[in-house]
Amino acid sequence: MSNARSAIFQAIERAHGTEETSADQIAEDARNLITDPATARPAITADDPIDAFIERATGPKVGASVDRIDDLNALPAKIAKWLDESGRPLQVALQPTADLTGLDWTGAGITLTNDVDDKVAVGLARFCIAETGSLVFHSAADMPILLNFLPAVHIVAIRASTILSHLEDYADAARAAGNPTPRNACLITGASGTTDIEGRLVKGAHGPGELKIVVVDDR
Amino acid sequence: MTSAEAGFKSRAASALADERLKLAIERTAGTAERKRAAAVDEFPEFAEARARGRRIKDHVIAHLAHYLRLFEENAKASGAKVHWARTSEEACKIVVDLCRQAGAKHVTRAKSMLGEEIGLPHALLDAGIERVETDLAEHIVQLADETPSHIVWPAMHKTREEVVELFQDKHKQAPKGGEVEDLVASARRDLREKFMSADVGISGANFLIADTGAVCTVTNEGNAELTTTPPRMHIVTAGIEKLVPSMEHAFVLLRLLVRSATGGDFTQYTTFHCGPKRQRDADGPEEFHIVLVDNGRTKMLQEGLQAMLRCIRCGACMNHCVVYRQIGGHAYGATYPGPMGSVLTPALDGLAKSRDLPHACTLNGKCAEVCPVEIPLPTLLRGWRDRSWREGLEAGTTRGGMKIWAFVASRPALYHLGNRLAVFGLRLLGRRGWIKRLPFVGAWTDHRDFPAPRRQTFMQAYKKRRSGR
Repeated sequence: MSNARSAIFQAIERAHGTEETSADQIAEDARNLITDPATARPAITADDPIDAFIERATGPKVGASVDRIDDLNALPAKIAKWLDESGRPLQVALQPTADLTGLDWTGAGITLTNDVDDKVAVGLARFCIAETGSLVFHSAADMPILLNFLPAVHIVAIRASTILSHLEDYADAARAAGNPTPRNACLITGASGTTDIEGRLVKGAHGPGELKIVVVDDR
Repeated sequence: MTSAEAGFKSRAASALADERLKLAIERTAGTAERKRAAAVDEFPEFAEARARGRRIKDHVIAHLAHYLRLFEENAKASGAKVHWARTSEEACKIVVDLCRQAGAKHVTRAKSMLGEEIGLPHALLDAGIERVETDLAEHIVQLADETPSHIVWPAMHKTREEVVELFQDKHKQAPKGGEVEDLVASARRDLREKFMSADVGISGANFLIADTGAVCTVTNEGNAELTTTPPRMHIVTAGIEKLVPSMEHAFVLLRLLVRSATGGDFTQYTTFHCGPKRQRDADGPEEFHIVLVDNGRTKMLQEGLQAMLRCIRCGACMNHCVVYRQIGGHAYGATYPGPMGSVLTPALDGLAKSRDLPHACTLNGKCAEVCPVEIPLPTLLRGWRDRSWREGLEAGTTRGGMKIWAFVASRPALYHLGNRLAVFGLRLLGRRGWIKRLPFVGAWTDHRDFPAPRRQTFMQAYKKRRSGR
């Protein structure tokens, strides 16, 4: 359809005339549109980024639960306790990342499974954003994207050191982290929900119905 | 009266008589209106964000060719295949051909208004490819064999009770009860295996990120990622106006989009899709195709409708429209309803077929007031009315009436005489200040009384006051 391509560019040229601004100038104009971002985004009130993130993530708009631990090694026991208390089998599907697979799950009485569908999955977020309470995952060999979408309960460990203040800080971090850009960068903000029937919010539409966050204070 | 006009008027009349429809619309649009107001109140920087959002879109539209080239180059570098379509037919053909190439028997689709605009559901049906809509509302609309009635809540016209009946009839396993929770669970059950066994996943794009070649989708359900990850092929259909320079620019617009659409602060699932599965990736599609669609957009550029290309499809204009709230989306008879639809439809389908839509507006300005990218919708609607007049599309009775009025109005003595006669006549018909029935304006007096005029015309009262001084 190269005909279509050139026809579209010709039509744009008919409307605009030939582009006279240089690519560098356009890039500079684009950057100028987003300088001083603080004037156009919500302020963060808490001094500590962890507090800011937790306040947001547990607030009514995100509705996640947050637990805190001091060391990632304490994660299996924390999850085992919760599974037990909520009457679920001590079984989880794990994100295949060394940081998680290297933990002592059997010691905590948890069996690992590949069955994610409508079950409990445990992941480790790459970044977190305090402004929105979002968790960020980048697709990779050790980050299957479906692990974030198929379970009924999504448990996500985050390192306090990866909490960023605003969405723009994530854009910077993503640029610094990634060449090439990951195939998928997923910003997950709360459990799956829908308001498609009569505007009423119901959790667990297609993705997880429950999001539990465990903050690891690694600072 | 043209047939399209008759169509709109009769659709609007039956919608107005449908009390159940009004109930359904109020339940969702009323909630959306309140939640948006609360979200904007909590965001004191909204006005500045809005001005920025508008400037970002204007900048991209002013340099559209540059950004299209940049996006294409970066998308190709990420391994995506980029296709171009001038018209809806071309776009559908590209998608259907890709599906056939992939040997697709069934495809999943995440809600995309562009897909509706280009008639993709029909094109897939004609090609014998089974299409599974995965957004809950689109799923409802598909099962009911209807079309979306709102761009954010396609099933806004349906009450919970109607969805219960529909799911009992169509789902393999009927919903366990009549609550919204039961319905959501039932759809989840019904769709889960279809997600996993689809051959191709089709999505739209909320933003196209020029500096990386990524495509951004937003959902609250998580159905976009479940649609695009398992199949072998992901096809994106996107309008060429969806470009933004970078992720930062998208974030400015996302803050506006979500608050304006649902009153949330951020969508639950905001994903940037960049190219096909990488060699070592755990999952993802082997092929990633992006179909860039013009379908009237460059014509809008040429015809002075640039401002409409800013639209980020939040639906706030329809949630706040007094006309939409009364008649719902289907009465508009087009892909895009409400104020934004009444501006877009004449551009997409031609004014002759849709001249009645820009007239179905009270010009109260509410849509422009809530638009997150400051589109002057009432001005654009007036522009279509003006053009409809100049192109001779207005009905003969309207034109004749305007001619008579112009003749009288340019002759002050005659005009004042007419006024005095009208006041006299109307006062004869009035009882206690109100007129119950008036000849020629039954459409008004059938439903409400008409106020009887005061004793004097304005000019009579004015002259009396001046001479009294």
